[in-house]
Amino acid sequence: MNTVAPSGQAGALYWPVQLRRNVGVRSLFAVVMAFLVAYGFLFPGLLTASGFAKFTQSWFPLALVAMAQAILMLTGGISLAIGAMVSLGAVIAATTMTGPLGIAGGAAAVALTGVGIGAATGFIVVKLRLPAIVVTLAGSFIIGGAALLILPRPGGAIPEWLSDLLAGNTPAAFVLLMLIVLLWKLYLATPLGLSLYAAGENPVGAYRSGVPVDGARIAAYAISGLLCTGAGLFVAAQTGSGDPVIGTAFTLNSIAAAVLGGIGFLGGQGTMRGALAGSLLLSLMISVMFFLGFTPVAQYVAQGLIIIGAVATPQFRKVQQ
Amino acid sequence: MLATAPLLAARGVSKSFFGNPVLRDVSIALQPGRVHALLGENGAGKSTLINLLSGALRPDGGAIEVDGRPVPRMSPAYAQQAGIAVVQQELSLTASLSIAENIGLGAYPRRFGLLDYPELAVRARAACDLVGLHEPLSMPVGQLSLGRRQMVEIAKALYRRPRVLILDEPTSSLSANETKVLTDLLERLRGEGIAILYISHRLNEVMALCQHVTVLKDGTCTADRTLEGTDARGLVRLMVGRDPGDLFPHWQPSASAANAISVRNFSAGLMRDVDLDIRTGEVLGIGGLVGQGQEDLLLGLYGAIPARTASAIVKGASGLPSGVPKANALGLAYVPADRKREGLHLIHSIITNMMLPTFARLPALKLRSRRAERETARGLAAQLGIKGDLDRPAQALSGGNQQKVALAKWMPHDPLVLLLNDPTRGVDVETKREIYMMLRNFAAAGKAVVLLSSDTPELVHLCDRVAVVREGHIVAMLKRGALSEEAIVSAAMGAEQRKVAA
Amino acid sequence: MTAWKESAGGRRALTILRSRPFLTVAIVAAVWIVASFVSRGFGAYGHLRYLVELAAVIGLVAAGQTFVVIAGGIDLSVAAIVTVSAVSLPLLSWQGDPTGLTAVLAVLALTTTIGLVNGLGVALLRVHPMIMTLAMATFLQGLLIIIAGGSAVTAENPLVRWLGNARPAGIPAGVLLWVAVSVIVLAAMHATSFGARLFAMGANPLAAALSGVPVTSTTLAVYGISGFNSGLAGVLVLGMNGQGYVGIGDPYLLASIAAVVLGGTSILGGLGTYAGTIPGAILLVTITALITVVNASPGWRSILFGSLILGLLLLSGREQARR
Repeated sequence: MNTVAPSGQAGALYWPVQLRRNVGVRSLFAVVMAFLVAYGFLFPGLLTASGFAKFTQSWFPLALVAMAQAILMLTGGISLAIGAMVSLGAVIAATTMTGPLGIAGGAAAVALTGVGIGAATGFIVVKLRLPAIVVTLAGSFIIGGAALLILPRPGGAIPEWLSDLLAGNTPAAFVLLMLIVLLWKLYLATPLGLSLYAAGENPVGAYRSGVPVDGARIAAYAISGLLCTGAGLFVAAQTGSGDPVIGTAFTLNSIAAAVLGGIGFLGGQGTMRGALAGSLLLSLMISVMFFLGFTPVAQYVAQGLIIIGAVATPQFRKVQQ
Repeated sequence: MLATAPLLAARGVSKSFFGNPVLRDVSIALQPGRVHALLGENGAGKSTLINLLSGALRPDGGAIEVDGRPVPRMSPAYAQQAGIAVVQQELSLTASLSIAENIGLGAYPRRFGLLDYPELAVRARAACDLVGLHEPLSMPVGQLSLGRRQMVEIAKALYRRPRVLILDEPTSSLSANETKVLTDLLERLRGEGIAILYISHRLNEVMALCQHVTVLKDGTCTADRTLEGTDARGLVRLMVGRDPGDLFPHWQPSASAANAISVRNFSAGLMRDVDLDIRTGEVLGIGGLVGQGQEDLLLGLYGAIPARTASAIVKGASGLPSGVPKANALGLAYVPADRKREGLHLIHSIITNMMLPTFARLPALKLRSRRAERETARGLAAQLGIKGDLDRPAQALSGGNQQKVALAKWMPHDPLVLLLNDPTRGVDVETKREIYMMLRNFAAAGKAVVLLSSDTPELVHLCDRVAVVREGHIVAMLKRGALSEEAIVSAAMGAEQRKVAA
Repeated sequence: MTAWKESAGGRRALTILRSRPFLTVAIVAAVWIVASFVSRGFGAYGHLRYLVELAAVIGLVAAGQTFVVIAGGIDLSVAAIVTVSAVSLPLLSWQGDPTGLTAVLAVLALTTTIGLVNGLGVALLRVHPMIMTLAMATFLQGLLIIIAGGSAVTAENPLVRWLGNARPAGIPAGVLLWVAVSVIVLAAMHATSFGARLFAMGANPLAAALSGVPVTSTTLAVYGISGFNSGLAGVLVLGMNGQGYVGIGDPYLLASIAAVVLGGTSILGGLGTYAGTIPGAILLVTITALITVVNASPGWRSILFGSLILGLLLLSGREQARR
């Protein structure tokens, strides 16, 4: 029993850790792959440049809000203000980018708003100890109200070339998403980023181990806010203008995508790759139903059933054992 | 050795919470190269003292000294810098992170602001080797058993290269083997000049490992002396404040030939194809190494997890209870091991906790009588010696009193079969004795008591028979005459194969 | 108050004075008094009666929500259920029953069944309540479009019209209904073993199950009650509005949760009372009314509403750290 283990292989730790994180999401990946193949089979257009571009563009904002929600759920929080944040990002982009601030200034305004409101929400939840679900519920009114103030009815504009770049026949959305994923991996490789898991699952233990628990959680809210307003900018670019209530549906869809992706409600459970896969699955389902000519009614009904089914199946299997 | 200043010391510290003094003028000095035992009943102030020494709390009076110099503003961060590491009783691990990421948590090596994984791997591996953890460093902690997690917790403390190591009941969930590894390790660390503070309720461990002892009673220091020339009995006297008498009640046969429960080919969770008869009037012990399926046996009988069986007779009725309410109706009661997670509603009042099984049983729309509830609860509290305001939330109680509440709530229903899961874990000596008395009295009153325990002496002195479980099977059924710690341990380790004699 | 007559009366009274429900009542009273000085007509009996009548709808929805939240869950499908009730009732024929009672009962049976399906998903399939009720809301939204197709339907059911418009003894029938429901809810919550089980499940579901609490059936009951109450609220809102349309229930999701939390019930479950939700609902309606008085743009109204709720939470809604 007391033989000393070989410590020569100690150098390779990062990749084995990453591989093991795949274990929980393998079956989800398989399902997503199956859906992708079926989709490609039904609509060979996916394999053309423009088909691919369109598909990734419809996925992109959902992927961003799924990440935004997943970060919070990993720290044991949740946000019901995701949709309002997306709307706010969209109206800020649509009102600033053609104005004196220009595109760079407008993008900076969108980003700063996201980080600022996110951090403020985080501060209220973490430092003032109010339940996240209620704070973000109240926050959704404030943020939604701000969006209405900036742009009372749909309008504003996004410079045409930016719309073409982000939402035209280019794979820009996909490239951006890969970039964001890469940045996320980098963040998770910093001590503060990795502390997310500990702060979410076992905050007391993490604090005793010297982890800046409050800081990690507030940072998560700030990043989440940034992702939301970023998604709003993209949505504005897609439609070419701003709409103060365009983001509403994203609140529920972000939770659905994160949960489909295996993120738990208690904090520290799940992985970002799972949340991304969940958002892809949801996006695929919506596209497939749209192309199959499902009426909106049937889409709603099917979506509700699929979400319950996907979440209940693993549980059901566990009970059967 | 004594000429050097203590690495870490408390000088006359006091601390109160909400006006209740928890520590009064307590001093303790941790010397390099010495294992120092800290003993005391639950609620004596041990955890508070540890929290003061590690900077998690600040004293109201007195001083904490590092290397002989008082530190006015002690904090967890300062303690870490000063080389003070604590292995807490409640694990500080994160299930979804790997072993290495857990070990380094809060003190990661960095390069360019990023976590330096190669460096972390080397240092975590070194710490793991010390405690005999050979699982891959990339394995998520959630996949480890409770005992292995405790070892990760210890490795985590060692990773910080401590000069002072504080261990709060480190062996409560360790197997005999892991305990051996730990004691060997502590011996070695002591030889390297590290100061160790060791808290445990297991006196034989303390006697074997420690050189010096500090005993706390009701927040004051009642002894600060070497362990030489004392014995376990003397230590108990110091802790309890009077002669301990016999911890275990006198054993008298009370088992009848009638079976309370009888199962054949019973499988649940880890348990596979077990035959078992539980007689009325006996205390049946369940022993074995931690995590061999003992808990699943109890939960399966209780209807709390799915179970299969070829034939089962429970209190004269055929078949296992299909759920907990059914089991309760048949007269079964279960007291879980993890009081805080499974046994109690910490935020609710003591009365509500005591009355819960009653609420569960009564027709849903039956009106409650607060007066009757209060009366019942008062009676139970008096019977079990739970003092104070019963409207306090259960979390205000000490561990021993919480365990009493977890037991008391079943008393109004006069259960015929009591399933107990490690009822004395982390419970002070005095409460232990009271619980032992109660268990024997239950048996004498013709009830069946099933006692799952990780404390082998308990099994030997209290039980009529002991079923030893290994890898999901009952590998030995030891009768009273054949009961000894050696017999149980050797059966648990598989040193000696015995035929199941049910 | 019987509390004064009891032996420990003084202590009891102090507990009540310090309790969250009382605090919420005090806030409502303070707001009403200040507002009636500042704004002409606010303090008129007719206006206050109108506020309470509006609060009755929220109060009914929040009654179910309080049960669910105390038992450790959350019901995000209440708004959809209110709409289902308000839209499907006018479509049901009530000929042959001059009172219209059968149609109302049929609709309540329908909404209770919807709630029970939520409960089945949560208790048996072990879907997280947020997901289960969210999915249910999505599902119902589709169903509603089939039923109503987007156009408003007029209620001609006599019982429903009476409920929405009658004022026996000067008190709106809706308020009377709310009072009756409140009495039953408070009794069920604090004076029966069923109520005690809810608190136990919310505080520690595992310990509750091991203590013999029938978790599955209790969970079913809780979501069933929530469905029933939302259905009842739908009937009332239909009567008050005269017409039902898709989206009529939308305001009540957030309102019900806000009323529960403002009333001092812990969103984490296991602690709370409907006695706090009642003033919570009135407080919400009052805030909305005040904001309307200010006569600001929709954006400012929304901001004011959110900020006031957040401010009130800061004042009284701290959660103790718990784990």
